[in-house]
Amino acid sequence: MSLTASLSSILAPLPATLADAASATIKPAVASPDLSWAGLILLLPAISAVLCGLCAARGVKGKLPGVITALSLLGAFALTLMLYMRCPTDAPRTIHLFDWVSFAWGSGAAEGAKWTSFLAPFSLYVDSLTLLWMLFVTGLGSLIAIYATEYMESDVGKGYARFFGAVSIFLFAMGSLVMGGNLILLYLGWEGVGLASYLLIGYYYSKPSAVAAAKKAFIVNRIGDLGLALGIFLIWVNYGTVEYDALFQAVTASTDSLNDGSEWTKAAIPYCLMLGAFGKSAQFPLYVWLPDAMEGPTPVSALIHAATMVTAGIYLIARTYPLFQLDPGALTVVATIGCITALLAATIGMAQYDIKRVMAYSTVSQLGYMFLGLGVGTTFGAVYHVFTHAFFKALLFLCCGAIMHGMAGQLDLRKMSGLRNVKGFGIISWTFLIGCLCLAGFPFTAGFFSKDSIIAQAFGSGNDRFVLLGWIAVFTAFLTAYYTFRVWFRVCGGPTKYEPGDELHGHGGDDHGHGHGHGHGADDGHGHGGEWHPHGPRLAINGVLLLICLGAILAAVPAYLGGPHQENNWVMKMVSHSSAVGGIPAHDHGASHGADAHAHHALSFTGIADVHTATSVVASVAGILGIAIAAFFHLFNRKAADGLRQTLLSNSLTRWLPIAMENKWYVDEIYHATLRVPARALGHIFEFFDKSVIDGVFVDGGARIPAGLARVFQPLYNGVLQGYAWTMAFGVALIAAWVFWLWLQGGAA
Amino acid sequence: MDFALPPLHILAQATLGPEAIALLSASAISAAGLALLMQPGRKSGNNQNGSKFRFEGLRIAGTVIALAGFAMLLVEVIKRAASDGESASIPPVFPMIFGTVALAGATRMVTHPKPVFAALYFILVVIATAGMFLLLGAEFMAFALVIVYAGAILITYMFVLMLAQQSPVEGVGDAWYDRVPRESISAVFVGFVMLATLADAYFSGTTQRFLADRRVDGETRSVELAWDRLDAMPKLLLETAQGAYRAQWKAETAANSATDSAAATTGEGTAPKLASIVRKADGTALSRMDGGRRIEAKLADGSTVVVSIPDAMLPDNSRQVGVDLVSKFPAGLEIAGVVLLMALFGAVILARKQIELGEDERRGLAGMRRITVDGEAGGLR
Amino acid sequence: MIASPFSSANPSLLLNSSMHAILPSSAELSTPALLASSDAATVNIALLVSALLFACGLVGFLSRRNMIIMFLCTELMFQAAALAMIAFGKVHGDLSGQVFVIFILTVAAAEAALALGLVVLLYRRRETLDSEAWSELREA
Repeated sequence: MSLTASLSSILAPLPATLADAASATIKPAVASPDLSWAGLILLLPAISAVLCGLCAARGVKGKLPGVITALSLLGAFALTLMLYMRCPTDAPRTIHLFDWVSFAWGSGAAEGAKWTSFLAPFSLYVDSLTLLWMLFVTGLGSLIAIYATEYMESDVGKGYARFFGAVSIFLFAMGSLVMGGNLILLYLGWEGVGLASYLLIGYYYSKPSAVAAAKKAFIVNRIGDLGLALGIFLIWVNYGTVEYDALFQAVTASTDSLNDGSEWTKAAIPYCLMLGAFGKSAQFPLYVWLPDAMEGPTPVSALIHAATMVTAGIYLIARTYPLFQLDPGALTVVATIGCITALLAATIGMAQYDIKRVMAYSTVSQLGYMFLGLGVGTTFGAVYHVFTHAFFKALLFLCCGAIMHGMAGQLDLRKMSGLRNVKGFGIISWTFLIGCLCLAGFPFTAGFFSKDSIIAQAFGSGNDRFVLLGWIAVFTAFLTAYYTFRVWFRVCGGPTKYEPGDELHGHGGDDHGHGHGHGHGADDGHGHGGEWHPHGPRLAINGVLLLICLGAILAAVPAYLGGPHQENNWVMKMVSHSSAVGGIPAHDHGASHGADAHAHHALSFTGIADVHTATSVVASVAGILGIAIAAFFHLFNRKAADGLRQTLLSNSLTRWLPIAMENKWYVDEIYHATLRVPARALGHIFEFFDKSVIDGVFVDGGARIPAGLARVFQPLYNGVLQGYAWTMAFGVALIAAWVFWLWLQGGAA
Repeated sequence: MDFALPPLHILAQATLGPEAIALLSASAISAAGLALLMQPGRKSGNNQNGSKFRFEGLRIAGTVIALAGFAMLLVEVIKRAASDGESASIPPVFPMIFGTVALAGATRMVTHPKPVFAALYFILVVIATAGMFLLLGAEFMAFALVIVYAGAILITYMFVLMLAQQSPVEGVGDAWYDRVPRESISAVFVGFVMLATLADAYFSGTTQRFLADRRVDGETRSVELAWDRLDAMPKLLLETAQGAYRAQWKAETAANSATDSAAATTGEGTAPKLASIVRKADGTALSRMDGGRRIEAKLADGSTVVVSIPDAMLPDNSRQVGVDLVSKFPAGLEIAGVVLLMALFGAVILARKQIELGEDERRGLAGMRRITVDGEAGGLR
Repeated sequence: MIASPFSSANPSLLLNSSMHAILPSSAELSTPALLASSDAATVNIALLVSALLFACGLVGFLSRRNMIIMFLCTELMFQAAALAMIAFGKVHGDLSGQVFVIFILTVAAAEAALALGLVVLLYRRRETLDSEAWSELREA
């Protein structure tokens, strides 16, 4: 209680815009049984998972599981589109599918009195936030499934069905996470995506690093999931319901602030939920699992670990935004953590050589942006960034995957160059470029608009702390542009030069066989010196790349149509009709612009009045500067990059910098030292206790009693017939004596 | 009976009466004597100085002690039989003789190092036991025991002994395992516990009172049961009645002849044959009378006579046992037959079984050195 | 109850009675009480002998190593049981005890046949009658 209260007081005071936003109400949900066909969106992937399981059990050789999954996901996407068209957005809709968890006790349960029942029906809560999320989840899911049908073809008959089964499970779980009408269903989906993620990271289970990464992801996520579970418990304890509709009504009806210090259980809710979100969305300090998760197949990295699952944390906070609005301190924590993560991951990403790892750190970094957006009070910016990021990051990963697919698993950017000129890699290179431009926040790309809306809100919030975070975000944008184009210039630019990778790299396992089963003939095998040459992707991969590239480009369209304050932005409309409506910046409602004066002060040196325009200019400059520096070091003068590195290394004052960055700031090592080593020591103590006390004294000691008794009687069982006969006869004699004794007692009485 | 474990405080309070202590100590003395007798005998052919004297001394001491214990037990037992009022000045000599012989034979059988002698001593036990059977009125079982046990079973044992016993070699003596008993003291201890329990159970005051009551019943009941058995056997009944009638007729004829000489002369000859037995309404034929039973029978000419049959004319033990066997235990009789048949089959199958000796065992039998160590192979140890 | 040893004693115990008749002391003192006392003593002695025979057989079975003698000792215990049965049958005036001795004889005969067959088999296997030659009944 005092902890959270003091935490809140240390952190920022209540921003005016948030106070205004808190007044925005969420309309009660409308039950819509006529939309119950929306349950098919969940059912289709579930059926697909079962069918893939059957395929795996029957040992189907062929692409049938992939086809099933792709078709079912396309069906789910079509249904989602239909739902988008049909479902009115004036108020959220609840679709009751069936009773799931239903307990009632005490009197008054029938009247709906609180804490007399625990109801978590299998129902859907559909508002525009749900629709937005489901659109890109199912859309990207289907595209990536199609991509994977080609990408995973070397595993046909081996892990193919397993892969697609897990993907189907993921889509089902993600669907129930996003569409579920209560927190229990969200938790089901939350754990389900965690399971699917675990299964897919550990897909190449014969490779120790993949297994370790899967375990790491699972365990780190457990920490976050604990927070989520506690948050749900506390929500039930405080509000008596876990259903969104009732919860939001209860939250908006109550006027008291959470941090009045009266009820710590209430004040702890946002922090618990935040912990869950940080775990799933890979935020500092729980981000460490995501870079390792790149051990999974690349489509998985694109779908789960870039576009969809890792945004579940954003979704959670956006969905429960009314709870966060009650505690600005919690939002400040979210913003701070997001910003720290963004910067930290960007600096690490700068120094990585593995392009998938660079992308992984950029994902962590971009997720940090999204949390920053949530924290500074623009759910629109956060959600818009989720939306655009889903496209361009999926695109980037798919490009990485395609390169890896064609280059026999090569991922080291030092060993590839000028791929744009290699036959078959043209589409990859240019779509890759577009993805990079989006990520770098190049002016007038989708990423530019979404990122700017976050930074602008930070500047415009009128909060010094947020302004500082905004400047850090701008600096991070510069770093992002640098490391993104470092990759592109290295891999696609420059003179054409490449060497094939160890084909086990990134795929793992001797069951991979990559390069054998492509239908290109034997020449695209692995590592045969001069005989080897890379092969470009075929229709499925190229088509999907183009489609997603198109999506990434078109993601900017809402911003163009959005008007001066993005009030006509499609995403803005979607967000403002959802439970995240409280995060729409106040001036977008046409409310007071008082905060802008402060923003002018913050950006006064630019001389531009409008905070949005100013931010655009600053961020554009930062992005272009980053690209330019990347071009200098990695396109025109690659020796200079090595020289810079050597210079930094040779100077004892600066040599720590590149080493620390290349070693990911030693975060894993710090965790190892601070968490794993003590835990291990504790484990050894417990093990000793278990072995010596529990086992030694109680179990073995207990066992020693019969053993000792046995040693007394052991001579009786010497294997000699008469030994046994003696025992038996003595027993019979004793029993006879006893019976006689009893008889005498009875007779005498 | 309450089968709960006796509470320990009862055990603590329990005091053995002087009679029980006498029985227990007598049993203990007998057991001690047997324990001494069980000690390994002198290895024949081994003339080590001193050993002979020692073993013979042990043997003599054991015999004396065992006899003393047995005598004490006998005294106790006879005392108890007479304890209900009358004093028995006359010791039952025959049971004592048979019992002593049986026990001496049993002791010798258990202790004798030569199996053939043990078997022969067992025959002695069987004969002495048969004598006890006779004293207890079980004539049929006495003879059956001698015939079946001594005559058949023991002969089988003797055959097997001769088949399996290693032929004694000059100077080697009896087999080791026959000379040295295993753990004789603990075995005697178990035997003592069993004996003490049985003796206390048999000869406790409660049992003795019970036996005394039942014995008086049993004397009359055996007669009643014997008459009932006779009633159930029409042919034997007719024969018995005929015999009784003959004696009765002779007596009557003699009485008549004393008064009427004419009738006596004409009536000289054999008694008329009884044609049939007249049964009463309840299906029985015999009616009670003092010292026997009365029965109505029809003569050949249709006239009815009443015949008195004294108790002394009841059928003998063998017939009665036979009747009980077939009338009371028909199922047991059948099962006994099946058991014997199965034993026959089993014995035949076992006898035909060919032992597959292992390589090692064949080597051993052929006098070659065994590959495995003897002790490990389970041979003599 | 019993008027005279010859007229009212159980005729089935004829031999017993005649035994008593042979005994001079018993013949002189042929009072019912004495006879009854003598019978009681006979039964008691029979029971005592039965208990002792059983104990002897038990001791022999437990301590003799020769398998044939072990089986002989079981026969001894059978004898003891048979004697006890007949003694108690005498007390109860019931012949069931004697009938049961027939069954005991049957079982003893069957047991002897089978046991001796087994002994012969075992002997052929180990060339010894020592029961401790067969000690595989234990662990390790």
